[in-house]
Amino acid sequence: MDLRFTDDQQKFQLEVRAWIAAELERPFTEEVRDHAHDADSLVEVRRRWQKKLNDAGYLGMRWATEWGGRGATEVEEAILHAELNRADAPIIPNFLGVSLLGPALIHHGSEEQRRRFIPKMLSADEIWCQGFSEPGSGSDLASLRTRAEPDGDDFRITGQKVWTTFGPWADWIFVLARTDMEDRYGGISFFLVPIEQKGVEMRPLKQVTGESEFGEVFFDGALARREHVVGNLGEGWRIAMTVLGYERGASTLASPADYERQLGGLVSALDERGALDEPVVREKLGRLVVENEVMRANGLRTLANIAAGIAPGPESSIEKIFWSEYHQRMTDTAVELLGPQGQLEARSSLSRPEVDWAYQYLWSRAGTIYSGSSEIQRNIIAKRVLRMPTAR
Amino acid sequence: MQFDLNEDQALLRTSTREFLENEAPLAETRSVMEESVEGFAKDIYGQLAELGYAGLLLSEEDGGLGPIAFAVVMAEMGRVAFPGPFLELTLAVRMLAGCPGEVARDWLGRTAEGGALVVLAQGEDATSTDPAQAATRFADGRVTGSKVFVPFGAEADALLVSTAEGLALVPRPGAGWNVTPLTTLDHAQRFVQIDFDDAGQEVAGPEASTALLAEAHRLGALGASAQMVGLMERALEIAVEYTSEREAFGVPIGSFQALQHRCADMLIQTESTRSAAFRAAWAEETGSPEAGYLASVAKAWAGPAGRFVCGQAIQLLGGVGFTWEYDPHIYLKRLKTLEQFHGSTRWHTENALALAPLLEGA
Repeated sequence: MDLRFTDDQQKFQLEVRAWIAAELERPFTEEVRDHAHDADSLVEVRRRWQKKLNDAGYLGMRWATEWGGRGATEVEEAILHAELNRADAPIIPNFLGVSLLGPALIHHGSEEQRRRFIPKMLSADEIWCQGFSEPGSGSDLASLRTRAEPDGDDFRITGQKVWTTFGPWADWIFVLARTDMEDRYGGISFFLVPIEQKGVEMRPLKQVTGESEFGEVFFDGALARREHVVGNLGEGWRIAMTVLGYERGASTLASPADYERQLGGLVSALDERGALDEPVVREKLGRLVVENEVMRANGLRTLANIAAGIAPGPESSIEKIFWSEYHQRMTDTAVELLGPQGQLEARSSLSRPEVDWAYQYLWSRAGTIYSGSSEIQRNIIAKRVLRMPTAR
Repeated sequence: MQFDLNEDQALLRTSTREFLENEAPLAETRSVMEESVEGFAKDIYGQLAELGYAGLLLSEEDGGLGPIAFAVVMAEMGRVAFPGPFLELTLAVRMLAGCPGEVARDWLGRTAEGGALVVLAQGEDATSTDPAQAATRFADGRVTGSKVFVPFGAEADALLVSTAEGLALVPRPGAGWNVTPLTTLDHAQRFVQIDFDDAGQEVAGPEASTALLAEAHRLGALGASAQMVGLMERALEIAVEYTSEREAFGVPIGSFQALQHRCADMLIQTESTRSAAFRAAWAEETGSPEAGYLASVAKAWAGPAGRFVCGQAIQLLGGVGFTWEYDPHIYLKRLKTLEQFHGSTRWHTENALALAPLLEGA
């Protein structure tokens, strides 16, 4: 066992920390609290931050330098994400493009596609959204019905996608669509589709948080060019599953870093009102600290396994369930301990400056649904880790 | 970075599992629990001492194998709910090694290699097992006072007794200990109250004894957490095996999603305990300043997690899960006593909070 970072990794951590301290103008929570901002200008804050990260070489950490990456390992990538969360840095607008489409193009795309799309994706000059889920196909993604029909050399896409994060600001969407209605997995292909065209309609969807960060997309004979098919026709499912697994290391230390920062905000608030000595407060706070530290232990274990070349299996479901359900428990407790103040929106008078508690409280409901709901994750654990029987 | 055990540790796990499966399977725990007066098989403890297990926590020069190896062994013992004061013995051996002087060295030899039993007598309050200043006195070569929940104290050849004046070693008096049994729900654990008016010898003064007790407490929390990993691991296996075979409505009940999700939750709790316990062991092994914090994190987590896992093992076996004949209750009971000793969940939760890097400056 060795859970330490190497000297080089520690050096990298300090370097990243110093870089963030120098480059991040203010925590994202402060941007949100600034009345001068609206939804669009906050996206611009994120876009500018992504450009800075890109210029400093902190995007596409594990990609080859040829493609604008750094050629680093999962450990450096995990360190970077933990440091970004620790500082409350903005989430980049192209996080789905960088985490999913980038690897898809690098591993399965054509040389031309890589040259055309990767630089602008990294610089955030083109924002990408993801067209996987459909109103009738969420957890059972392979049941998707959106179809792509040949039109000369090209394709016409018809159908509907939903939960397209950053859709309202996106220039392009990567879409899974059927090129064969019969073949469940082999009938799915991977398309890159421009949003500014006749036949694509993007409608913002209002979330429980009140924002419209995601949307729904209607395709009515939208044009997808032949040269914008990633991989071969029928390889879409395999490509999507491969890139979804590519993300495995980045979050291992990022979630505990994020929640530790939020806990720090809670501690400041409780300290200010002299409540840190109350036994009930200490017991609840202590429990949150313990759980977050156990989450970090799980993360270090996963990361160490990855670093040692042991491919993480379905055990990553444990991590997904842990962080998403912990965030709900943590915000539940925090908002309760904060009293009425905990319910104040970020820009309201009397709200806490450190953490946007009302938002975190509501946003935590999303984590147990997206990227494979808690129920799907438990199915995966029961079937693939515990090998429990299937109903006959 | 690497989470896996090294070759020696992996080998230790395999050989310990084999030894326990052959010499001390769960059926043995049962017979000890139901039939023996002592509550453990003395001959197996003799064998363990011969094989070097009693000295696990000693320094490398003295034959110790380090905290990670200690956690490995404790987890294996958890799997068979190994009866007797093994954890207490390894802690006492470590404490004796940390005490200066002839007396401690003499008893160190007898315990580490000779199979003698020494355990720590610390608690004085039946309402709390958390560390507190001892009221027991040590003056003019005599120890006077009363200790409760002394694990397997009736069988001890000597006791390390915490007193207001430091740590005293009290050899078993000719007439035996003045013991009163304290019978807990775990019949495989034998706790006693011991009333002292006995000759003892100082092995550590007040200051040294505080440090030794703190260290024993930290290592005890680590060992208990690791043992709980083994208890949970085996309880989950029992539940999965049973629900995969047992049929109702024409199908194995393990195919029902409600039961699958319960087992998934049991796995999450078990594996998270393993991550936390072994991270704490690693911190201890490398002398990290976080070792105390991480041991408290592990112990504070392991208790509630283990209660859930072992309790649900009973639930998933249904009616037979509630019978004496089936095994889950043995796991729940051991889990429950371990949760209370070496610092309760509440104590370690508070300690983790007090030591949390997050609270620095607050």
